[in-house]
Amino acid sequence: MSGSELALEVKDLRTTLFLREGRVDVVRGVSFQLKQGETLALVGESGCGKTMTALSIMRLLPDPPARVTHGQVLLAGADVSRMPEHQMRSLRGETVSIVFQEPLTSLDPVFTIGDQIVEAITSHRKLQRGEAREMAVEILKEVQIPSPGQRLKDYPHQLSGGMRQRVMIAMALVLDPKVLIADEPTTALDVTIQAQILDLIRTEQEQRRLAVLLITHNLPVVSQVADRVAVMYAGEVVEEAPASEIFSDPRHPYTQGLLSSIPSAAGDHKHLYTIPGRVPDPRVLPPACLFAPRCPYALRRCWQEHPELEATVSAGHADTSTQPDRHLLRCWNPQPFTALQAIEPQEVDRRIATSE
Amino acid sequence: MASYLARRTGYMLLILTISSVVIFYALRTAPGGPSGGGVLNPLSSQEIRQAYDKRMGLDQPVYTQYFIYLGHIVRGDLGTSLANGTPIVELLGTHARNSLVLGLTALLISYVIAIPLGVLAAVKRNTWVDQLAMGGAILGMGIPNFWLALILVYFFSLRLGWLPSAGCCDPPQLILPALVLAAEGTAVTMRMTRSSMLEHLHDDFVRALRAKGLPEWQVILRHVLRNALIPVISLTGLRLGWLVGYALIVETIFRWPGVGYLLVDSVLRRDYPVAQVFSLLLIVFVLLANWFADIAYGLANPRIRVA
Ligand SMILES: Nc1ncnc2c1ncn2[C@@H]1O[C@H](COP(=O)(O)OP(=O)(O)OP(=O)(O)O)[C@@H](O)[C@H]1O
Ligand SMILES: [Mg+2]
Repeated sequence: MSGSELALEVKDLRTTLFLREGRVDVVRGVSFQLKQGETLALVGESGCGKTMTALSIMRLLPDPPARVTHGQVLLAGADVSRMPEHQMRSLRGETVSIVFQEPLTSLDPVFTIGDQIVEAITSHRKLQRGEAREMAVEILKEVQIPSPGQRLKDYPHQLSGGMRQRVMIAMALVLDPKVLIADEPTTALDVTIQAQILDLIRTEQEQRRLAVLLITHNLPVVSQVADRVAVMYAGEVVEEAPASEIFSDPRHPYTQGLLSSIPSAAGDHKHLYTIPGRVPDPRVLPPACLFAPRCPYALRRCWQEHPELEATVSAGHADTSTQPDRHLLRCWNPQPFTALQAIEPQEVDRRIATSE
Repeated sequence: MASYLARRTGYMLLILTISSVVIFYALRTAPGGPSGGGVLNPLSSQEIRQAYDKRMGLDQPVYTQYFIYLGHIVRGDLGTSLANGTPIVELLGTHARNSLVLGLTALLISYVIAIPLGVLAAVKRNTWVDQLAMGGAILGMGIPNFWLALILVYFFSLRLGWLPSAGCCDPPQLILPALVLAAEGTAVTMRMTRSSMLEHLHDDFVRALRAKGLPEWQVILRHVLRNALIPVISLTGLRLGWLVGYALIVETIFRWPGVGYLLVDSVLRRDYPVAQVFSLLLIVFVLLANWFADIAYGLANPRIRVA
């Protein structure tokens, strides 16, 4: 694959929170690549560092307390990590855009939709207000907002949740960026609206050959739209593979756990699998596999050595470690996937207690 | 809307009626009276005083006087000053204008100082800029009006001789009373601007605005400030009300011939007609200011405006 085709590349990113109690790495050594026209889904439980990864890419971390302390982010080949702020600013909205989870609070309540889209345009392009308004109407039409001319005069609270998210997407796309980061774009919406918004993102992506980083903890969503999936756990990517493989042949016990906890995958609605235990406290991480305390297959080694993210040979494939559809895994003891049974949580807790 | 207006107006008339009774009664039960040294020469004889009271109708029972007075008011006759015979309509014109000039200047000064400093303090939170501004605010809120007036007069008039210590109505004479009148409001507005800015600086939409690539000054001054000003603007209505109270003190100290000055003067002289009209005028003003506070809040906040 040629380097120029990469829209976004994250290399060994580490993001640290500087808290009163000390330093906490909430993103640890995350790397991934995103080509034009490709969708990478970043999945994982709440608090595993997905938003922090996204904000690190945009250089919009809340500082203090958060700062990128290691690694690189390349946007369309340009290293943004050490860019001066004014240059980074000119990339936001122009080259990389982000759509947040909560569309109501992401819009300024005291300005109209029109003002807010127009200002996104004019802060990058030297255009007359009228021309910018025309662009705004066009983009609203494109994201299928009815009577866009009227909507420009509305305030955010006058629109429905789904419409507001369409506005956010319109605003993100109006300058035709290369990369779109969508941080749980449908979590705050009704189920029926969720599908429409995903459709919209999918359509826009195909039309514009957008690179999409889709952050979610909703695996069914992933199966609909993603080309590749990176599974995050406690700030690390533990498995990365083409979406079809993640669903057909997940290797990491955590990924397997996530899949087993989807109702349709487990088949049995009464005994839905839940991954036992909790996410580890990121302030005191042991030099071991971070998932070991919750893992049904943990070996002695898992408690003693931290596994690296490495290419793996998946069933029915040749060694693809250098190929774009490679399967990366961070695990000492991968097991074939059989939807996990609903293990009694107490049993696992006992196992954790004895192995510690 | 029509019913809202009717309700507001009815409520105002009710308050005015009640207060007019209270004021009327309080003035007349206060010791002395126009004939007891306020208007007449304090050394005038008992006969002269009685004759004066009879001529003015002041010997009638208070409620009779009230209804006679009410009759005049309803016909649009505000009466004349007992002290010098000037028609009260005339006094209203000049004194109300002077008070407005003073009040608006004070308001302007306080916003011009308070809002930029409040923004700066919020953006530079916990730096010396913030601490200096907030220290100043605490001083501005804690220091009594008359004390501040004395200090300013001492330095700028007596020591430095830069500004006149009292009088009306040139710009130099306006400066000191306007500063004193502005002091507390400046402090309150500055603190409110700061805390409201701090509240909105961490709103989700601020991050979203930065994500659009807006320059930081535009995020702060156009968006955060605009949101932060909503409570500040609605505070203006209340501040107008407070200004009325302070104007009594400040106008008296600086002998600024405004409504407050005349009111204090007329009460001391027991110049009943003037005291009555001017105290009611101040009440109307406070009521209107509170009303304005409601409207301003709605105008500043589109979520209320449309709903
Ligand atoms: N301002 C902050 N101060 C302290 N800790 C923070 C702050 N912001 C985030 N964190 C911590 O950083 C970690 C990663 O948070 P992040 O928001 O990236 O998680 P996430 O994967 O996006 O979760 P979610 O699915 O809930 O959005 C969490 O443990 C969170 O508690
Ligand atoms: Mg998040």
